[in-house]
Amino acid sequence: MDFINQYLLTILILVPTIGAVAIIAHQAFWKDESQLKWLTLGVTVLNFVLSLLLLGGAQASANGFSFEQNSPWIPAIGSNYHIGVDGLSLWLVLLTTFIMPIAVISTWHAVEKRPLAFYAFMLVLESAMIGVFVSLDLLVFYLFFEASLVPMFFLIGIWGGKQRIYAAVKFFIYTALGSLLMLVAIIALYYLHLQATGTGTFDYVTLLGSISSGSLTFGGSSAYTGTLLFLAFALAFSIKVPVFPFHTWLPDAHTEAPTAGSVILAAILLKMGTYGIMRFNFTLFPEASREMAWIFIVLAIIGITYGALVAMVQPDVKRLVAYSSVAHMGFVVLGMFSFTEQGMQGALYTMLAHGVTTGALFLLVGFIYERRHTREISEYGGLSNVMPIYATFFVITAMASVGLPFLNGFVGEFLIMLGMWSSTILPGSWNQIATMAAGTGVIFAAVYLLWMIQRVFFGKLTNEKNKSLSDLSLREIGIMAPLLFLMVFMGVYPKPILDSSKPSVVEIQRIVSGETKGGTVTELNIDGPEGR
Amino acid sequence: MMNIFLAELADPNVSIPLVLPEMLLALTGILVMIYDSIRPGRRRVTGTISMVGLILSAVALFWIWSTPGQQLSAFGGMIVADSLRMSFTAVFLLVSALTILVSTVWVEREDVHAGEYHTLLLFATVGMMFMASGNDLVIIFLGLETLSIATYVMAGLRRRDLRSNESALKYFILGSYASGFLLYGMALVYGATGTTNVTQIALNTETAQFPALLLVGAAMLVIGFGFKVATVPFHIWTPDVYEGAPSPVTGFMAAGPKAAGFASFLRVFVLGFPLVVGVQASEFLHDSWITALTVMAILTMTVGNIAAIVQNNVKRMLAYSSIAHAGYAMVGFVGAGVAKTATGRDDAIAAVAFYMLTYAVTNLGAFAIVTLVARKNDRRTEFEDYNGIGFRSPVLAFSLSLFMLSLLGLPLTAGFIGKVLVFRPALEAGTSLMVILVVIAVINTAISAYYYLRLIVVMFFRERTEEWSQPKISTALAAVLAITIIGVFYFGIFGNNVIEMFSKYPVDVQMR
Repeated sequence: MDFINQYLLTILILVPTIGAVAIIAHQAFWKDESQLKWLTLGVTVLNFVLSLLLLGGAQASANGFSFEQNSPWIPAIGSNYHIGVDGLSLWLVLLTTFIMPIAVISTWHAVEKRPLAFYAFMLVLESAMIGVFVSLDLLVFYLFFEASLVPMFFLIGIWGGKQRIYAAVKFFIYTALGSLLMLVAIIALYYLHLQATGTGTFDYVTLLGSISSGSLTFGGSSAYTGTLLFLAFALAFSIKVPVFPFHTWLPDAHTEAPTAGSVILAAILLKMGTYGIMRFNFTLFPEASREMAWIFIVLAIIGITYGALVAMVQPDVKRLVAYSSVAHMGFVVLGMFSFTEQGMQGALYTMLAHGVTTGALFLLVGFIYERRHTREISEYGGLSNVMPIYATFFVITAMASVGLPFLNGFVGEFLIMLGMWSSTILPGSWNQIATMAAGTGVIFAAVYLLWMIQRVFFGKLTNEKNKSLSDLSLREIGIMAPLLFLMVFMGVYPKPILDSSKPSVVEIQRIVSGETKGGTVTELNIDGPEGR
Repeated sequence: MMNIFLAELADPNVSIPLVLPEMLLALTGILVMIYDSIRPGRRRVTGTISMVGLILSAVALFWIWSTPGQQLSAFGGMIVADSLRMSFTAVFLLVSALTILVSTVWVEREDVHAGEYHTLLLFATVGMMFMASGNDLVIIFLGLETLSIATYVMAGLRRRDLRSNESALKYFILGSYASGFLLYGMALVYGATGTTNVTQIALNTETAQFPALLLVGAAMLVIGFGFKVATVPFHIWTPDVYEGAPSPVTGFMAAGPKAAGFASFLRVFVLGFPLVVGVQASEFLHDSWITALTVMAILTMTVGNIAAIVQNNVKRMLAYSSIAHAGYAMVGFVGAGVAKTATGRDDAIAAVAFYMLTYAVTNLGAFAIVTLVARKNDRRTEFEDYNGIGFRSPVLAFSLSLFMLSLLGLPLTAGFIGKVLVFRPALEAGTSLMVILVVIAVINTAISAYYYLRLIVVMFFRERTEEWSQPKISTALAAVLAITIIGVFYFGIFGNNVIEMFSKYPVDVQMR
């Protein structure tokens, strides 16, 4: 047990990859493709169970991270294999391990072509995603960040829709370009640290220490150094999120990806971007973050409104859900850049809620697509008559996405708006104006989702082809059940998640808002809706 | 002056161990040649002898490398045993060994007279080794000519193929022309500094007779070396020659001679024309060549990548990609030139050597597969010919994808560590010119994703319309694939040992 606890994160990273090797070996010897999905499911469930041990929790060390491991990787470059989790990454790791088995079950009958390669790529992808969330060495982080591209590229390219090649290449090149500039910034940080302190390092914790103790500042060599580094990191993450003008890869990738790919993309891959901004941009470049905040707030509001408006006119259900992601991620960015505890907690909570809800929406779209092989809204109508369970699930999930109270979307969005309202990052009453502008987005969200639901599920059953549709099977209900449970649970009782993420988020908020330890923190007397 | 010569005549300071790797390989070459004239046409025997020679040479090299307290220079300072020489020599030996293994497929398919081929390859390798070990312009030139003449012939080995003839003739004419520039440059540098020894040139820059002569000489050298490593604008020959030459030879030329060119290019410029603070001529010279090479690096990467995008032939694409890679390596080169400390400079040199190693391993792996797929007369080398082979020949397709991702520089592959290493020294200098250089380099990397991915796209994402006969993977080729795949992962994940080994013996020119 001690062994497992000590190396838990490494085990979590390695189990899926070893699983991938195992299923390839299994195929080489037995050539029985029907067992593949069971084996893959077994591996992902095992990893989920193992990841639950994180909740048991070892004591966090002084730097706030637990389950740490730190050993030299390439000393000649100065990079260490340093991993660990805190309240911020813990939940994202759990989200990853939770979504993966669901994604695997969702492919039960959908993958007919090359199942071995499909499941192997899924497993490798899981390793890379967990690696991203637990890396505390910038080079190792970059490594996992890039490594996650390759399996996704193949998943979209081989098992995707008609435009899959275009979508896959666009996805890869967009993301690669952003992250390569981040690589330059990472190496530059190494040398800035070398010049400032005499030792170069890629270690996040060390860099953080040097910055907070004032031994590493970005004012020295050029006035713009800090800003440029911030932008290099922010570009990589903004493309991943995606923040408004960088979002064009997302609808293509989502629409063309197979259902499991869309689920993973929406639920986890997008979170790498927001996670990266919160973890690295805010703490390493707090000053630049504050200077640039207004840009991101403006872009976030544009993203919220634009995403919602474009979603409204989509004829394709999957594209509609994809654009709704743009809007939701806009909310997350807005919350983060409010630099208030509520806003940032709300951002993290929305990340998790969006993972569950949008993942569920993509699954639901996938169910109907498997039956009818079309996603055109105009092809449907009155589905609630033939598929009542499906319609119920869809409506609940859509409500969660809209942000109906007692469902998970509400908590995060409410916290974000509270945070933005009480923020002081924008001059004067602009904070409140920004909040109101974002609030309009929630109304739009209600419009596009409800309108779509009305057109798809209600009214008369006009299309002949829809009359013989069968309702959800037990397997499909089984996939949805845990997601629906989480939507309700996270909506009613957010306390455990918010409590455990609080110390880490507050620490980041303290650093980014420029408050010194023990300094006076002017905190508004609002505890949040859950009455902590 | 006279006294110095006499002193050297009296004690030539001979050290056999120091040139043992070169000697062993040259002897092997002669042995192969003699054997082939007695019993012609025995490919396996000549191939085996060549491999044994390469292995013996490598053993000798590692013996010098790992013997502590080793003498660092001999033959009156003409031959040195610093990390620059050691690391690059290791790259050459690996390239030659892999090339011999890759060629087994091809020599049998095309019925090439393999004895000549192996001899030429070994002599070319000896030439490359002298280019790295020579600390004297004369030795460097001799090495370069030995290499060049051998490769001219190798490019034209497919005598009955018009493209191969064109390739050899083009390479020969342009190559001789470039050699002329190089020699002229060397003469001018000698005229200005009164010596051909690189270490001595660095010392004599302060007292250079005609600083202008030195500058012109250096410019000529840039042209000569620039041709060898195929930097823009001296790259025009590359695509035609690479396309026309037999695939294994192309792989060899893109990895070996390019690395050799970089070895002497680095030695002459970084060590021969260093920045001596306070000496006007030196400052001016240093400034000029740094700027010139920076501009060349930018052009090389950009032109190489953009031209590679529009290619429809895989060999041509790899040729342009090799141009782009020369550009990335030059980022490390320039970084070595602007390094402020001797350690920084040595690390940067080691970085370029490591980059060439990663490039060689990856590229030869890719060429092994291209050779295998190409069939007789290199007929199947278009992108279309790779359509949909992904799951029909999964081993080949996944290996080729891995090599493409490594060329692209994706983490966990050798190419990533190589790129990080060559970008580092330039960023360490921290001047805005260097930062711009690195930023352009990474933007180029993103552009290159397009054509590297294209090969993966056609293999995996497209359907095959014509027939596909599974090519047979021979033992030698399987060995090449195993070595290169392991190499790509090993250098990408556990590269530390190699990097440390590459910077073990600091070069003997102090910074001033």
